[in-house]
Amino acid sequence: MPVWQHIYEELNDPNFVIISAAQDTGGEAVAGPIFDAANATYVQIVDVNHTISSAFNFINVPAAAWVDETGKIVRIDEGTYAKTHPFGGNDIYAPALKDWVKNGENSEYVQAAATVTKNIRTQSFDELKAEAAFRLGNFFREYGYADKTEHYWEMAKDLNPGSVNYIRQNLTLSAEGSAGESFMKMIGEYVGQGRDYYRPLDLSEK
Amino acid sequence: MAEEVRMAYPDLRHPFEKKPIHREGSATVLYAGKVIEIDRAVASESLWVTPEDLARINGFELKPEGACFEALCFPLGSGSKLLKEEGDQQWFDLVGFAEWLEQPYVADVENRVWSFGEVPAKREGMMANAMAPEFEVLDRQSNVVRMSDYKGKKALIITWSSW
Repeated sequence: MPVWQHIYEELNDPNFVIISAAQDTGGEAVAGPIFDAANATYVQIVDVNHTISSAFNFINVPAAAWVDETGKIVRIDEGTYAKTHPFGGNDIYAPALKDWVKNGENSEYVQAAATVTKNIRTQSFDELKAEAAFRLGNFFREYGYADKTEHYWEMAKDLNPGSVNYIRQNLTLSAEGSAGESFMKMIGEYVGQGRDYYRPLDLSEK
Repeated sequence: MAEEVRMAYPDLRHPFEKKPIHREGSATVLYAGKVIEIDRAVASESLWVTPEDLARINGFELKPEGACFEALCFPLGSGSKLLKEEGDQQWFDLVGFAEWLEQPYVADVENRVWSFGEVPAKREGMMANAMAPEFEVLDRQSNVVRMSDYKGKKALIITWSSW
């Protein structure tokens, strides 16, 4: 998080915005302090219902899209760490972003609409239904129905087993948390099924 | 990776007090980020709502040409199973309509809460030609944030989480 703020300040471009959305059912209480610690000055959203992930068909965090001045997506859905990270981050993404902000459509990192379209995940009926189930679980959480919350979050996970967001968000209900033994086991199975934990970052793809 | 492992938030596992979902006899519909409480509903496995509530929920209006949203109309025809009248009151079958549109939904009939997903046809159009989808969320200061607010600027949309 502090890295994005640093990049935002360094670019200091009134025609560039960062819209950062915490996919957190725990709400302001869990996500707010992280924004505050980063002294974030960009647009900060605590996205309890994972609305942004739904809109862009994201299934894991961090994930990002670059949207140009005309509303066109020019890159989408990459494991978007600002620096190296054990889960697959690297130090090439942030410089590419800066290049785009400075050079716009002439940046070598801007992708063609056909490439972006290929990289947008599709949503099946069950995956859309998973969103409705997740939303229902969150609603029950707000009203204190822990059993119903768990039931509908599990349903969401079963309907969309490819969603790392659902798998890990569910684990926040468990004592071991979202990055414990269950998570490591599940991620082993996930990758074993031939799924990418993140879609590989390929900066040469036009 | 050890430094990444942390218990999420044990005190937040069940942070909220159990409270009534809606008034006795009401039903609640979740759709497109909205929570709509419906005072007058016939709720069982299906959910019958008044034409006024239908408009509140998804913007559809009942017209002679059918159930319409802006220029889009789905003809209902006379004797449509989606419509019924009891006394002076007309009722519309919201669940039947969703099934007809192949719109996913999940119902908690026990608590009379229905959660509707997006209409697939509408969702497919959302990122056509690589255009960014419209969304509407609140920021931490409760300002409405829409994708369309940022026309004319470059935007990095990024998700993350505390977990």
